[in-house]
Amino acid sequence: MTLQPKNEFAGSLGGTPTEQLSAKAVEIDVSDVSIVFNSRKGSVVAVDRVSFQVRHGEFVCLLGPSGCGKSTLLNAIAGFERPYDGEVRVLGKAVTAPGPDRGMVFQQPLLFPWKSVRSNIAHGPVMLGKSRAEVAKIADGLIDMIGLTRFADAYPHTLSGGMQQRVSIARALANRPGILLMDEPFGALDAQTRIIMQENLLRLWSEFGTTIVFVTHDIEEAIYLADRVLVMSASPGQILRTIDVGLPRPRSPGLLLEPEFTLLKGECFALIKQQSQLAFEQMGAR
Amino acid sequence: MTEGQRGRLYTTVAILSVPIFLVMWEIVSRSHIVNAVLFPPPTVVAVALWEWIESGQFAVDLLASVARVAAGFVLGSIAGIVFGILTGQFPLFSAFLGPIFHLLRPIPPIAFVPIVILWFGLSESGKIFLVFWGVFFTVWLSAHLGVQKVDRGLIRAAQMLGTPRRRLLGEIIFLGALPYIVVGLRTAVSISFYTLVAAELAGAFSGIVYRIEIAQQNMQTGQVLGGLVALGLISFLADRGFAAVSQRAVWWR
Ligand SMILES: Nc1ncnc2c1ncn2[C@@H]1O[C@H](COP(=O)(O)OP(=O)(O)OP(=O)(O)O)[C@@H](O)[C@H]1O
Ligand SMILES: [Mg+2]
Repeated sequence: MTLQPKNEFAGSLGGTPTEQLSAKAVEIDVSDVSIVFNSRKGSVVAVDRVSFQVRHGEFVCLLGPSGCGKSTLLNAIAGFERPYDGEVRVLGKAVTAPGPDRGMVFQQPLLFPWKSVRSNIAHGPVMLGKSRAEVAKIADGLIDMIGLTRFADAYPHTLSGGMQQRVSIARALANRPGILLMDEPFGALDAQTRIIMQENLLRLWSEFGTTIVFVTHDIEEAIYLADRVLVMSASPGQILRTIDVGLPRPRSPGLLLEPEFTLLKGECFALIKQQSQLAFEQMGAR
Repeated sequence: MTEGQRGRLYTTVAILSVPIFLVMWEIVSRSHIVNAVLFPPPTVVAVALWEWIESGQFAVDLLASVARVAAGFVLGSIAGIVFGILTGQFPLFSAFLGPIFHLLRPIPPIAFVPIVILWFGLSESGKIFLVFWGVFFTVWLSAHLGVQKVDRGLIRAAQMLGTPRRRLLGEIIFLGALPYIVVGLRTAVSISFYTLVAAELAGAFSGIVYRIEIAQQNMQTGQVLGGLVALGLISFLADRGFAAVSQRAVWWR
């Protein structure tokens, strides 16, 4: 299941408005965002005054214990969740609704069960009114890239979990979004598939030049993938520390054995362990 | 007995079951244990059926009944699906229409016959209305529940990809609810035949059930039973036909 990125497809991405941004421009601006859920039992502060910025083309990981508000924060950037306080801006404009400029890969594949692999991937471009020829070109390029050419006409329920997640990534890329939001996309995969998917994602990212915000609770995954890791506290979610990874690219799994990697891992681990303990106790206390 | 032998025995018994039943009915009927006028033997029923078909009247009756069922079913299904999607998706619609529909739904549609006669007289629209009424609530409820069972994540995925609101309702939510809607539609097929019976008994000028009633008034018991056989066959075929269609309706399974 090797994925060979197609240069011709990557080439066809030229001309995306975000491509013309300078690499330094702030693309996502989360300022002082708090998100509160109201339920019958009372209100829960899921995200507590979080601020951070993501620059164009950057790969940022949100790392934190279970229930700390990672998905909620990502949903706010996607436009599914409205901040109770503060503001999310994308390219200077306040986010009020989901839109095709922000592709999302969810924790579950969430493919349309009534559509074949090809039609799932083609859905976005069709909705954006692309011509038939353009849609076919985009879909074929992405199907090739995720290595599922043989399964182009298969329905999602006939695919394995890993294959479904690959389709889900291709579907999110089909609209050529400037921003890719990924919510623990590899959480349900086995270790081997996961390593391959991570390598492919890095290759994709360097070709597409997309800005990526990637949620995970796996320390190694965060350091291996990211330019910067934002470590979050236990609920209510706050950003404890920003860790600049600074490891050279392109990265390969051999990096996991390097002393610099182990050092960063130790730093994250100390922070996370304390927070996970806290999160665990909070859940018991609820 | 081996597994295979037992299987063959059951198949043989199943094949013989209806013929044995008919033969026993024939014997009982002709042996004067029962009144042969009230319980005519199958041969008499068959002759009555044959004469009905040969006279050309059967085709007229069949067409009248099927047209009523089909019109009421199609209209009731469309309305049921549209309202089901609205109440399932929009809390405001649900808050307003839910209580009204839940109030009307439990009233057996047959109980509306008297008022329908006052409203529509003995016209076709009255009969179609009765079938519509019976079908609507079943389909509405299944569509309503189906829409609520659609994974909210699928809707988010569609929004993220830039799906406009109208396509969201007409494609993502409708197809997401389709497996449930199809179950409701199948139940509605048999309901539409129940209501047809009431509609034709209430007064008609043609139709399978109308013919049964006329035959009863003339003490043509063979014809009465023949009508019942015809009605049973038609609704059986409609159910089977619908089952075949519904498997194809949910094409991705
Ligand atoms: N729809 C909701 N209604 C009420 N509370 C919610 C809702 N969604 C999330 N929460 C609460 O908000 C907090 C953060 O949830 P969130 O899903 O963002 O966590 P997470 O960091 O993504 O966790 P995980 O790693 O387990 O996915 C939790 O305390 C959760 O109970
Ligand atoms: Mg989550």
